[in-house]
Amino acid sequence: MYLDMHSHSVSSDDSRATVEQYLKWIQVLRKRGHVVDGIVLTEHRKFDYDKDYSALANQYDVVVLKGSELDTRYGHVLVYGVTEPLTKDIDFGNVAMDTRELLKAARQHGAYAVPAHPGRFGIGLTEYIQQGETFDDVRIVERLNGGSRKGENERAWELCDDKGYLGVGGSDAHLTSHIGTCLTRFEATISNESELVEALLSEQFQPVWLEDATTNSTSE
Amino acid sequence: MATELDYDRSLYGIEHEAGPFEVTESQIQAFSRGIAETNPIYTDAAAAKFQGFQDIVAPPTFCTIMVHRVSLPDIGLKFGGKPMTGGMHAGQRVQARAPITAGDHLTASSHLKDVYPKTGRTGTMVFIVWETTFRNQDGTVVADVQESFIRRG
Repeated sequence: MYLDMHSHSVSSDDSRATVEQYLKWIQVLRKRGHVVDGIVLTEHRKFDYDKDYSALANQYDVVVLKGSELDTRYGHVLVYGVTEPLTKDIDFGNVAMDTRELLKAARQHGAYAVPAHPGRFGIGLTEYIQQGETFDDVRIVERLNGGSRKGENERAWELCDDKGYLGVGGSDAHLTSHIGTCLTRFEATISNESELVEALLSEQFQPVWLEDATTNSTSE
Repeated sequence: MATELDYDRSLYGIEHEAGPFEVTESQIQAFSRGIAETNPIYTDAAAAKFQGFQDIVAPPTFCTIMVHRVSLPDIGLKFGGKPMTGGMHAGQRVQARAPITAGDHLTASSHLKDVYPKTGRTGTMVFIVWETTFRNQDGTVVADVQESFIRRG
């Protein structure tokens, strides 16, 4: 199945897209022959315990999962399978937290942390590795990011090749029509956050562009 | 490395009152021209009265300019131990709640809503969010305006 692993709704301070607008747009993408099975809402610096999108998910037949995108000292990090103990252990609003501590805490609490847009100039993980920092617990990074500028996804690609990292894909959508521009193709069927973490641990996935997520590609 | 966000947190919960500000027909007409508004209730007093309003009506986003007449206190922002003084406007959200017409006298009540840091391609920035409620001379809430400002180190 194909999931957009990185998106922001109006719950984030810099997005104007509602979840329903995303789900409606996915219907448009499906009519165009693309396969988008679900999205993960990775709101900035918080986790929305109080938001329940199950009715919308059922109405539009789209899997809607919740995660977070945290600012850290060494770039942004996507966190999947967020649990209450994790939010108590880690201050999601602390933009100076050590990425390595977040990676460890996520695993301790049943979640999984993935550095976002690592090739991003000025803020991506690549910059810090070039400065001599090491991140032994990184296994997966966001290899395809729909908000990247020219050269940034290429840098992420090179990082993966160099370090042997696995990659996921996400649109980083802040606008309705950006949803689904980058996706992750999973071998597993995923219907909740726990299954998403399991699927990441299985390492059976790959990042894809929307253009490569078509009804034809799924039957191959 | 000192990284803690520091500012005057005692400002939370304090309402800063301002006004009253008189709303005039010329202000409304100038604002309507500025946003290319053509609905007659926003451009012509007679048309507005014909529609049942007291006078010419202010467009729903009118309080985006009225909010600039409100003086907000310095929150004494520091990040990493260093003052963050420079900055820029980062956006507004307006919730119009009742019609505003010429001749109204609006009072403003502002409070600090949030202060938070984030990081982007150009480094760390801090957002300061103020929320202002406007009431007319009858005490009716006519609009809520949320304004954000960015500060950089």
